[in-house]
Amino acid sequence: MVPTFFYAACALAAVGLALLLMPSGQKFRVGASVFGLAGIAWILVLIVQSFATPSDEIPNLGIMILCAFISVAGAVRVITHHRPVFSALYFVLVVLSGAALYVLLCAEFVAFSLVIVYAGAILITYMFVLMLAQQSPADVGSADAIAYDRIAREPVGAVICGFVLIAVLGGSVFSVRESTAIASHDQARAVAQGWSDLALMPKLLLEQARRTDSTVTAVVARADGTMISPHANSTAIISVNRAGKDGTEDLVLAPSMLPDNTSRVGMALVNSFPVSLELAGIILLMAMLGAVVLAGRQTDLANDERRTIAGMGNLLDDLDANLDAKAKS
Amino acid sequence: MNDALASGFTIAANSQISIALAISALLFVIGLVGFLCRRNMIIMFLCTELMFQGAALAMIAFSRMRMDVSGQVFVIFILTVAAAEAALALGLVVLLYRRRATLSSDAWSELGES
Repeated sequence: MVPTFFYAACALAAVGLALLLMPSGQKFRVGASVFGLAGIAWILVLIVQSFATPSDEIPNLGIMILCAFISVAGAVRVITHHRPVFSALYFVLVVLSGAALYVLLCAEFVAFSLVIVYAGAILITYMFVLMLAQQSPADVGSADAIAYDRIAREPVGAVICGFVLIAVLGGSVFSVRESTAIASHDQARAVAQGWSDLALMPKLLLEQARRTDSTVTAVVARADGTMISPHANSTAIISVNRAGKDGTEDLVLAPSMLPDNTSRVGMALVNSFPVSLELAGIILLMAMLGAVVLAGRQTDLANDERRTIAGMGNLLDDLDANLDAKAKS
Repeated sequence: MNDALASGFTIAANSQISIALAISALLFVIGLVGFLCRRNMIIMFLCTELMFQGAALAMIAFSRMRMDVSGQVFVIFILTVAAAEAALALGLVVLLYRRRATLSSDAWSELGES
């Protein structure tokens, strides 16, 4: 029963998006937006209804839904706006609300790197290229944007294709709804992983031990050779030396001493995925070299254009002729 | 139930993850629709970035669901690939623009088979 309503909601959103994309759709822009927003709201209501557990309250649900609307509406404006510069600015809106969603989903480090890399670096590149390569409407002679920005190609077909995809995806999510439950063994594994990450970070471990008990001078290995042994209720036990005392004593670390998101992401990055990290570096290096080669080709082209205008031959032909002359003399 | 709060994850409600997954699917689909029906080459690449956003949000949601940071590490790699792709694709777009003095992808339709 629920998937039927879900398909209807998808269809409503699709009709709204198709109307917004139609070249003649400017007249019904408000109506189309209402259609699309109603469809998205219906989708979200269906999801909250069928996934929410009535026993526990949902943290930050209001903020989450607000961010959802902002990011989806921003994405729609990215693909419907007639001026590419505004499309890029709306993409910044999508990135910012996406970062807010990441924070709500406990991924603080990735949220901030998303803002820095996407809104700060990638979008600036897009803006640069837009301003380098943009034909201003005044050149073309129309008051509005240029034709290829105004008229979408096959909007109905594209929207049907896209929303069939989302109906299938969403329908499958609805049919296995219990699988998104957070299992308690995942929680236990997360805590164990956190403690074993902390055991690999001696400085942070000493800091946390001092935060628990300020007289701690050093953290030493336990009798079984490990630094940290997990204990009941997500706590852990470590062996420490205290100031003014001989021998080691046990100290219980509270769960609040587990490493935070940034430490854990960093640890996973260098401990679990070191080869991928190196590969990412190689990809970036190759992209830089590729960009240099492409930019070099552009200057060659520009030189050739200028020489053609001045009535001279191509740069390479001239070079060959010079070399031949030198070889002869 | 504050245990997982300390390990970098708060207790999530089911619907929170489901909403994030729905938004990621919507972002991906909107990016796909935009890629299919916009004619401006730069906007087409911007739409691929939208699809990247959708995929990354799904990664974060699943990372939250399983309380495992590997998903977040994957998002960092997605960011890397997106940055490399933006640099190269935009360089190519500028090159194509200098050839035909237009950003319309229809100007290059003879590269297709039909």
